Amino acid sequence: MAEWIVRQLPALVILMPFTAAPLAYLLGAKFGRPIALVSALLSQPLALLLAIRVSRVGTLRYEVGGWGGPLGIDLVVDGVAAVMVLVTTVVGLFVTVYALGYFGDRERYRFFWPLWLFLWGSLLALFLSGDIFNLYVCLELVSMSAVALVGLTLSREALVAAMRYMLAAILGSLFYLLGVALIYGAFGSVDMQTLREVIRGDTTGQAALALMTVGLVLKTALFPLHFWLPPAHSNAPSPVSAVLSALVVKGSFYILVRLWVDVAQTAAFPGASTVLGVLGATAIFWGSIQALRQERLKMLVAYSTVAQIGYLFLMFPLVTGGGPAAADAWTGGVFHAVSHALAKSAMFLAAGTVLARFGHDRIEGLGGLSRRAPATAMTFGLAGVTMMGLPPSGGFVAKWQMIRASIESGQWWWAVVVVAGGLLAAAYVFKVLGPFFGREPEAMDEADLDPGPSPWTMEGAALALALGSLVLGVLGQPLLDLIMVSAPALVAGVTP
Amino acid sequence: MGKVTPKSPLPIRIAALAICAGVGALLSRAVLAIPETESGLAPLVDANLEASGVKNAVTAVLLNFRGYDTLLEIAVLMLATIGVLSLSVTQKGTWDPIAAQADPVLSALARFLAPVMILVSGYLLWAGEHAPGGAFQAGSVVGAAGVLLALSGYARPAWISRFALRAAISVGFIVFIAVAIGEMIAGGLLLQYPADLAKTLMLLVETWLTVSIGAILVSLFIASASPAEELRMRSGGER
Repeated sequence: MAEWIVRQLPALVILMPFTAAPLAYLLGAKFGRPIALVSALLSQPLALLLAIRVSRVGTLRYEVGGWGGPLGIDLVVDGVAAVMVLVTTVVGLFVTVYALGYFGDRERYRFFWPLWLFLWGSLLALFLSGDIFNLYVCLELVSMSAVALVGLTLSREALVAAMRYMLAAILGSLFYLLGVALIYGAFGSVDMQTLREVIRGDTTGQAALALMTVGLVLKTALFPLHFWLPPAHSNAPSPVSAVLSALVVKGSFYILVRLWVDVAQTAAFPGASTVLGVLGATAIFWGSIQALRQERLKMLVAYSTVAQIGYLFLMFPLVTGGGPAAADAWTGGVFHAVSHALAKSAMFLAAGTVLARFGHDRIEGLGGLSRRAPATAMTFGLAGVTMMGLPPSGGFVAKWQMIRASIESGQWWWAVVVVAGGLLAAAYVFKVLGPFFGREPEAMDEADLDPGPSPWTMEGAALALALGSLVLGVLGQPLLDLIMVSAPALVAGVTP
Repeated sequence: MGKVTPKSPLPIRIAALAICAGVGALLSRAVLAIPETESGLAPLVDANLEASGVKNAVTAVLLNFRGYDTLLEIAVLMLATIGVLSLSVTQKGTWDPIAAQADPVLSALARFLAPVMILVSGYLLWAGEHAPGGAFQAGSVVGAAGVLLALSGYARPAWISRFALRAAISVGFIVFIAVAIGEMIAGGLLLQYPADLAKTLMLLVETWLTVSIGAILVSLFIASASPAEELRMRSGGER
């Protein structure tokens, strides 16, 4: 039995939510809730086992159908894939627990459960896929479920945001698919391991990578293609906002990194990696400044995502040169994705608690929240520590690695961006924390406005994620090691 | 990213044209640069066709070599349907008649055609083993039959409950997953068909896929048509 589980582990991880999803749809809301919770709980040991297994034996390769690439499709689990599966599974559990309280058993949200389980499974399938066409299917699954989840409230704003999101997402997918078609035409394979050997930076190869990069950048909402993100992420129901910002945008980013660093090797396209870095830096400034200007909490948090996505793209110019800088940039970038996932989902869940309790999320109307909802205010504060990158948070470790990579590679200007971004993050975090820990608005009749505390599961789930993002900085070493397990040749310093 | 309609200002239209022309030029160059000798995976597929359990290369790729893609694609279809149902304003479900009053000629024709279409779909399903065909084609024909019936004023028969409709939409994916897990329990990997059972299992999967694809297409059609109908009825419009 144990041996069977170990052998089938990559498939089991994906099958758990994918088995639960159709059952949750078939059996309706009454059973959807327990099915989602059971699936979320059972996923935990599977993801943990996968991570332990990878850290012991290195890359796991699972040949679906028994054919093996390039004829069949392989699931490939290396360190970074295991880390992404782990963070998806942990965030997924707390979002599920939160959503049980948030949606209750309201009939109109019955579709949340199958859609969410499908999204969960799709993300895991994406992180484990070793085949660029299969990744396209995964991208479609992720977008399709995410768009439907954004529109779930059926409010006018949500539907408009969902529509805009869908158009951007489909356009992004099609650009990616065009690239896949070109690569298959020119190099005769869609299997990443095969492509690594044969892909060249010739006309077709470069055109394909350019198309795929544009598509994936659009889906990741990198400045200036971020226009769809703030309305979609802020108008979605809060558990959905949390998943979108924490995990979904990282899905397309993950494919981009795999393509550049793992398959094509950035060295072939040095100029483009600088462009991505510059766009990332611009995103940090633009997103932070926009966040500062927002009046509504969820919009502020959404713009903060635009800024935080920027950091991920600093990885590209820092990895290009190889050497120790590449390794630091690699671990820093992935670590940032992980700590941002925890902190940002905590923030959105906290914002959702506020919204559900007070019926609005205007920042100025939330004065003195720390006395009425101490756990929620604390959640926001702790998650804010990671956003700012203060020690001992996960965000600090990520930024430390990036700064080190900048110095090591002699590109000090990226370090300046990282530090300045942290200061800007402090500004928008304190814009929220100021009122939270300040006075209550004078002209407020508390009895009318406050229906009482939220279910403890909601506040607890958000707080747990925020604590997780903080603890990550102290207990981050095993995670840093795991990220480097079977890292791409460019990063690991092995000459390919 | 403004909407490009005839009302867009000239600079935006010119910019859109320039972007399209640029992407078009890039694509043309890239396609023309592909070496003509490259044959992709076709030789590999031919070499393994024997072992796949079916004689049609397309079916072998879809159900066996890249069966995992197909598994996820069925999930995409099912997900799209759940998404459309969740967004449909009325959320009243599926398979209510679209046409308020049935045209007697159309409804007589539909009565005649629907069974024939089911038969054709059965043939396509079976033919997929050795010739062009298979679950997607067969399911499309089932879906077309359902749409035709709905357009001709036939309501969902009482014996098909809401649950049965949900079951029809999800059965393809559920059976596919069940077969995949069964193969794992039997000692293989995910979607690794045992040689002697490959053909039978693939036919089993395809049969239920046909049911689901048909149900999904009908549901998509009717669910996305209902809001307009709803609005027209609400505004008291007469035809």
